[in-house]
Amino acid sequence: MGHRKSGELLQGTLPLLILRVLVPEPNHGFAIARRIQQISKDVLRVEEGSLYPALHKMELEGWIASEWGLTENHRKAKYYKLTRTGRKQLKHETGRWDAIAGAIAAILQEA
Amino acid sequence: MTRGRLRIRALVRRHHDQELQDELQLHMKLLEDEYRAQGMTEAEAQAAARRQFGNATQIKEQSHDLFAFGFLDDLFRDLRFAARSLRKSPAFAAAAVLTLAIGIGGNTAMFSVIHGVLLRPLDYPDPDRLVFLARENPDEVTSGRFSLERLDEMRTAARSYTGLGAFLAHPEDVTFSGNGDPEVLTAARVSANFADILGVRPVLGRSFLAEEDTSGGPAVAMISAELWKRRFGADPSLAGKTAILNSTSYAIIGVLPAGFQFPFPAVDVWVTRPAESSNLEPTFRRCCSPLFGFARLKPGVTLQQARSELNVLNERYATAYPNKRVYAGPLRLTQLKDQLTENVSTMLWMLLGAVGFVLLIACANVASLLMARATSRSRELAMRTALGASRGRVIRQLLTESMVLAVAGGMLGLLLARFLFGVITSMTAFDLPRAEEIHIDGVVLGFTVALSIATGAMFGIVPALRAVRPSVVDMLRQSGAAGAGTFGKRGKLGVSTWGMLVVAQVALSMVLLVGAALMMKSLAQVASVDPGLQAAGLLTMRIPLPATRYDTFEKRAAFFDELVRRIETVPGVRGATVVRKLPTTLGRLGTNLQIQGQEIAEPGHLGIALQSITPGYFRVLGIPLKRGRELTARDNTSGAPPAVIINESFARRFWSAYPGGEDPVGKRIKVPILDVGPLEIVGVVGDVHERGLTRNTEPQFYIPQWLYPPNNAYLAVRTEQEPLRSVSAIRAEVRAVDRAQAVADIRTMDMILAASVGQQHLATWLLGLFAGTALLLAMVGIYGVLAYSVAQRTQEIGIRRALGAQASDILTNVMGHGLALALAGVALGIGGAFALTRIVTGLLFRTSPTDPATFAGIALLFIMVALAASYVPARRAATVDPMRALR
Repeated sequence: MGHRKSGELLQGTLPLLILRVLVPEPNHGFAIARRIQQISKDVLRVEEGSLYPALHKMELEGWIASEWGLTENHRKAKYYKLTRTGRKQLKHETGRWDAIAGAIAAILQEA
Repeated sequence: MTRGRLRIRALVRRHHDQELQDELQLHMKLLEDEYRAQGMTEAEAQAAARRQFGNATQIKEQSHDLFAFGFLDDLFRDLRFAARSLRKSPAFAAAAVLTLAIGIGGNTAMFSVIHGVLLRPLDYPDPDRLVFLARENPDEVTSGRFSLERLDEMRTAARSYTGLGAFLAHPEDVTFSGNGDPEVLTAARVSANFADILGVRPVLGRSFLAEEDTSGGPAVAMISAELWKRRFGADPSLAGKTAILNSTSYAIIGVLPAGFQFPFPAVDVWVTRPAESSNLEPTFRRCCSPLFGFARLKPGVTLQQARSELNVLNERYATAYPNKRVYAGPLRLTQLKDQLTENVSTMLWMLLGAVGFVLLIACANVASLLMARATSRSRELAMRTALGASRGRVIRQLLTESMVLAVAGGMLGLLLARFLFGVITSMTAFDLPRAEEIHIDGVVLGFTVALSIATGAMFGIVPALRAVRPSVVDMLRQSGAAGAGTFGKRGKLGVSTWGMLVVAQVALSMVLLVGAALMMKSLAQVASVDPGLQAAGLLTMRIPLPATRYDTFEKRAAFFDELVRRIETVPGVRGATVVRKLPTTLGRLGTNLQIQGQEIAEPGHLGIALQSITPGYFRVLGIPLKRGRELTARDNTSGAPPAVIINESFARRFWSAYPGGEDPVGKRIKVPILDVGPLEIVGVVGDVHERGLTRNTEPQFYIPQWLYPPNNAYLAVRTEQEPLRSVSAIRAEVRAVDRAQAVADIRTMDMILAASVGQQHLATWLLGLFAGTALLLAMVGIYGVLAYSVAQRTQEIGIRRALGAQASDILTNVMGHGLALALAGVALGIGGAFALTRIVTGLLFRTSPTDPATFAGIALLFIMVALAASYVPARRAATVDPMRALR
């Protein structure tokens, strides 16, 4: 499993990624992690140790809501879905990310 | 935490645990599925999944951490964190807690005094219904009194009260004898229904009956629980118990509850017939006994309604008895509680305000400390924010720390308050009404807790808000000294928050210091008043002669003459005299008189003060003789031509050209209550401040005591040695004249004069204490800000020095900073003091509340203090080694 530790930067942006991934439909933790991995073409791998704390914190903040349901294989799973506050947060975080990314890019070009 | 709550927490926790468990288990299962799909065996897949998953417990822990079970969980975690964080900086914590303790403790002490004296309702059922009746005219002569005739009239005519009664306006002394040594007790004369009006029931026996209140009725008394225990062994049976008061036997019919304090503190005996004051001759009792009225309002009657009725009754009385104008002035009605405390309430509220300032200053100090500390934690806090802790959480965390400090300060403050309290109540020179009711009770504790919490919020909120400001960008911009950017950052007004705090502290301290200085000046003015006599070296005591054994003038005069003669033979005694009253004591008697040859300008009762003296009076007290001669032993003999001495105020009153014009010496005065012909004025003496050092002198005349001897007199003895050492010798002489005679109130004249300004002394002392504390805190505040500023700007200073600045330049720069803050604070403080000191005008004697010398002096003092406080940090800045600083 050769993934690099994405470290501090990822930790700060993990909620952003989770929120984005939940836009199309609700999902459970495992699936969320797999989707992030998949869409980023294996660049970003979420550690379970970061994933669940982040999910629970986001639930606390009211950005996502949870509900127990059944998977395809009829296993009990906790599904998370995006709330309205969450959508707002997503827009906010996306904006911030764009600003930072743009700034970094500018510096890299300059220097 | 109650067991119930713990159990609920555990249950919820278990449920949450279970859920989390399920969630993680699913994840693992799905991982296993993945691995199996990649070709591993079941066992391998499981192992890999577990490894991949890492420490499941850790996840659970973290999850718990983030998942807050509501407020309580958060609170405990915050508390633990705060405790840990404070333990790491013990110096800071100690400084903060101590500062807060001073502020909160002072407030607690003052509040308990105010609560006990002013706020707590009197200890009777429905105390708001109790009212006090006195004459409205506050004139000096017959202040505030009420007469028996009006009492009778009101009892028939007034409709607003369930019970109306009166009490003699001052306590009487009675010599209590019988089994054991005679002792002097304090007695109150009250109407028979007094206990009913107040709603108090005797703990033993019964209360008075109406027939026991009539002239010539049976002699009965009620006594206090303390006396019952002390002299009667708390015998449960009252049968046959009598008290011999002033040689008359009174049957004891009831015992009042412990702590009963009506109408004066420390009363041991209550008797009926309030108008029969033993101080007055029987003929004068009905019209002129000084009485106060009190009553209980009927349910449903408001104070306003009772007042309206009273106005009507006043009118009616005035029309019915026009020539009794002086004694029939209108009555006024106030709540009983207010009456007892009205003269101290300004002083007490002022002191509470003052100590409130001290608390504000303390808060400013602690807020500064917190802000200084926050800048060194800014990195830690910034990281917490970036890692996901919301700003709200961090603020809550910081506020919890503040609360912990505040509560700790509050507890220490409570201890401090008890100590301060013990000191105040032991100061004998002071006399607060209801002083016995001051305790640190539930209400006071509640106040302390509430104040601590409010304080914590007050000083904690600003530093907490400032501490969570940094954004991601700020955090990335860390440069060497942590958070160097936030200190001294000039906000919108061009002043840093720190600077504003210091200015506020200085301003508040200024106000307190000016107030204290004014009060001290006032006290000095009082002390500089010449009382008119030589107070040092004078021993005094009161001799209450029982009216029954000393029923004639001859008997009284003989006693006093013999007493003076004997005492003057005691070695070490320079002179002795007996007099009706001493300066600032009770016992003033005002009479009518007429100067022969002058028109009666004011018909009715003049109320000029009369003093009965033995011949040596002026010599013993050191009152200067201005004209004529003193009274001699011959003047003091029965049947001698009546002579009188007047004081200078008297002379000025009746001979307006005095000291020029007609000489009063030789003129005659007719005094109706004295049973003799006109008295010849033989001398004029200097004025004495009989009614207190802060009040003007009044006309007074002195007659030889055989003409009108008092039965409650004061003995004054001038001794060669320390006065109190002669007490036993003097008492022996008193007993030698009359074995059964007791003495009371043994004090020196100095003590009497000091007691008369006891309250001002107390107020000044306390205000001075608060002001001094405020000054100290403000000084620490200035020092702290500058010291920190210098520490933060080390680099900058190093650069300056390297670029050629002199040490003296740095010194002046830093001290200039301190001076600027101080000046701003002083200016604000002067403005504040100007506005606020008007409040204490009533407490000041011959001192203007805007006395410029005082203001200027304190301003100067403060500036010097500020310079001194700035000096040390300035020196440290000036000695910064540029090389070291730039590294």
